[in-house]
Amino acid sequence: MANVLWLQGGACSGNTMSFLNAEEPTVVELITDFGLNILWHPTTGLQIGDQVQDLLKDILEGKVQMDILVYEGSLIQGPNNTGSMNFFADRPMMEWIKELSEVAGYVVAIGDCATWGGIPAVPPNPSESTGLQFHKKEKGGFLGADYVSKGGLPVINIPGCPAHPDWITQILVAIAVGRIGDVQIDDYHRPKTFFTNFVQDGCTNVTNFAQKVDGGFGTRGGCLFYEVGCRGPMTRASCNNILWNRQSSKTRTNHPCLGCTEPGFPHHDLKKGSVFNTMKYLGFLPREVPEGRTKLAYYIEAGFQKVLPKNHKVMETSK
Amino acid sequence: MSVKELNISPVGRVEGDLDVKVYIDNGKVTRAHTQAAMFRGFEKIMAGKDPQSGLIVTPRICGICGGSHLYCASSALDTAWGTKLSPNALLLRAIGQASETLQSIPRWYYAIFATDLANKKYADKPLYKEVVKRWSAYVGETFQIGLTASGLPVQIYALFGGQWPHSSYMVPGGVMCAPTLKDVTRAHAILAQFKNDWLEPVWLGCSIERYMEIKTWDDMLAWVDENESQRNSDLGLLIRAGLEFGLDKFGQGVGKFLATGTYLHKDLYNNPTIEGRNNALIQSSGFFDGENYHEFDHMKVSEHVKHSWYNDQEDGLHPWDEPLPTPAESQTLHDSDFDSQYSWSKAPRYDGHAAEAGPLARVIMNANPNNKDHQIKDPLFGDIIKKLGPSVFTRVLARVHEAPRIYKFIEQWLSEIDLDGEFYTKPVEKDGKGFGATEAARGALAHWIEIKDGVIKNYQVMAPTTWNVGPQDGNDNPGPIETALLGTKIEDPLDPVEVGIVARSFDSCLVCTVHAHDAQSGVELSRFKL
Repeated sequence: MANVLWLQGGACSGNTMSFLNAEEPTVVELITDFGLNILWHPTTGLQIGDQVQDLLKDILEGKVQMDILVYEGSLIQGPNNTGSMNFFADRPMMEWIKELSEVAGYVVAIGDCATWGGIPAVPPNPSESTGLQFHKKEKGGFLGADYVSKGGLPVINIPGCPAHPDWITQILVAIAVGRIGDVQIDDYHRPKTFFTNFVQDGCTNVTNFAQKVDGGFGTRGGCLFYEVGCRGPMTRASCNNILWNRQSSKTRTNHPCLGCTEPGFPHHDLKKGSVFNTMKYLGFLPREVPEGRTKLAYYIEAGFQKVLPKNHKVMETSK
Repeated sequence: MSVKELNISPVGRVEGDLDVKVYIDNGKVTRAHTQAAMFRGFEKIMAGKDPQSGLIVTPRICGICGGSHLYCASSALDTAWGTKLSPNALLLRAIGQASETLQSIPRWYYAIFATDLANKKYADKPLYKEVVKRWSAYVGETFQIGLTASGLPVQIYALFGGQWPHSSYMVPGGVMCAPTLKDVTRAHAILAQFKNDWLEPVWLGCSIERYMEIKTWDDMLAWVDENESQRNSDLGLLIRAGLEFGLDKFGQGVGKFLATGTYLHKDLYNNPTIEGRNNALIQSSGFFDGENYHEFDHMKVSEHVKHSWYNDQEDGLHPWDEPLPTPAESQTLHDSDFDSQYSWSKAPRYDGHAAEAGPLARVIMNANPNNKDHQIKDPLFGDIIKKLGPSVFTRVLARVHEAPRIYKFIEQWLSEIDLDGEFYTKPVEKDGKGFGATEAARGALAHWIEIKDGVIKNYQVMAPTTWNVGPQDGNDNPGPIETALLGTKIEDPLDPVEVGIVARSFDSCLVCTVHAHDAQSGVELSRFKL
């Protein structure tokens, strides 16, 4: 049994919508079978107004136990660190979060905005947005690098734009059933169980990547790394192992991975030439190479592969 | 409870809390103010960036209608760059838009709206017990079925876009995907499951074909009483309970409606232009002033900021002429001066009028006698508007009325995909202006872009919630929800659920805090979140 409070700051509801797509368990099962008690959620909570404010006060005074604080959306600190660009229940949201984080059993940041600032934090960052415990790659964020919750953990980050529903439900269940000790987190506070393998693991175009067969929009087969900026080889996420909406993934539908589970998304801050386009040196050498290789080693290997004759069987596609 | 607000007029306001202040006199609302309470500044983020940034950024304005933003963002670039769109590309974009909207219907109905009907306010009504049994949050019998089924249509979206929410598969010149027969077959199967799990047995109690024979309000009433299965379906219960609970008696609004239309026909928009858009739409656009239909012209759209927290901007500018926003200082609802600036939302106007956007606007356009043969022709809501007028009930009925038709469309469009055809034609980037629009589940959505020196110079978004929830305009005329609240009877000032029902009938993306004040003494009676 675990009490969950879910709040949204500089959010788009994308993670809530993703969460509502959960299949195993469904959101209904999470509540009826897994003992998750949602104290309040902005989209589905039934309490209104004063009842919500009273609930928040009861949590702060210790009358109601809040095992998990889920936060979706960026922490809006603008203008000039007042937080008044995001009022919630008569106060800047950041003031609520500061106080609630002190009484929370565990704090879970869901989605890129909550983890490291996400799109709202792209320069010029008009709302002075940041993440709960990171600002892009830098540890600190709103709660500071040293923050630990009452349960003894820093903020657990479930990044993604949005986060996959399984990533959300499984971590919530782990806390609810007392198995959070089995969840290891990496340097960016991501649960390793989902964020160790790369998006490329399980990608259906992986043979084309190895043999340097280019893909592109509106074509079948081929690898999207060379021309349209796919970040599958340098992005840790389970998208090609635990599929989306039970069906597919970006790379399986010819959509370059945008690297949305890594801090720094959107990468290169959307500067000209960085959207759906592989940035290159000298017009042919990719600026960013797969994780775990030096540039030189990768260029030699790729160059070698590029001049080898292609087996027509690799090039074949079918409707 | 809420959906949250998308408070966007240039891209860049935030979904977040909307506060509402209502003044009550003799139990009735005499004045209402809506306040959007969060700012992110999306249009400022996009300025100076890659022209295709909107494809990634704008879906993240709103995760509820991200696919609709994508439809607009890709269309705006299509018109700016003069791309070529193959029939397949238009079909796959329409399938994505339609799947997202179909998902939203049960999700909105059960999670957002129907739980209000289980409020104790209606406890003395004969149908109350049945409503509670079916529609209570999480435990209601059909709440569970409907909420679970709502995930199915977006599985279809994922087959072509990779995932939902937040794919960027629609790009200028077409779509990224090149689906195979397996994808098309699977999409058909998922669609059938949606029909068999929820749409026919739970929602309609009859076949889709039978429901689509309804042409008038009298037909609709006769349909309810035709047999036990229809009478007892969720739609049958909504009609009976809606009338019994008096949902047809309040929440009228401004009585003027705007639709930007959607679903560009596969053979009529292969060379996208702003001028050619209206004619290529399957779901027609238009402005209905309560009496007559007018052709939609995006140049008649303007925004007012007299009452919005933005400085250095004139009232009544067309989006292409609007500056990037300069945020003013905001206040809490308590400290706001409603004669001055009081919301992060701007106030959009069409030809000077406040207009309601949403499914009701769409189905009214479907009854336009001028619609062409390739456009939807459905007289039902032309009749309902005459007989019942706009109200909470009419709005909700319109919202759910679309499900069977959208279902049939997706089925048809899937079968029209030519697996040997093109899906994408690489465009040539250039400077210029573009306009793209669609109908998100909750109404008219449009993007305006200006590209200069190869980067975005200006990007403006006008969302359905902005149309509906915007504050007063430059002449102090209230917005649609502010107007719809007027005259609403508040039975219990400590639990003014009626205000919530009105706001939710618009399916606003917002969390609202309603503060009820005594009109004479100004004493605050209560406040609550929507």
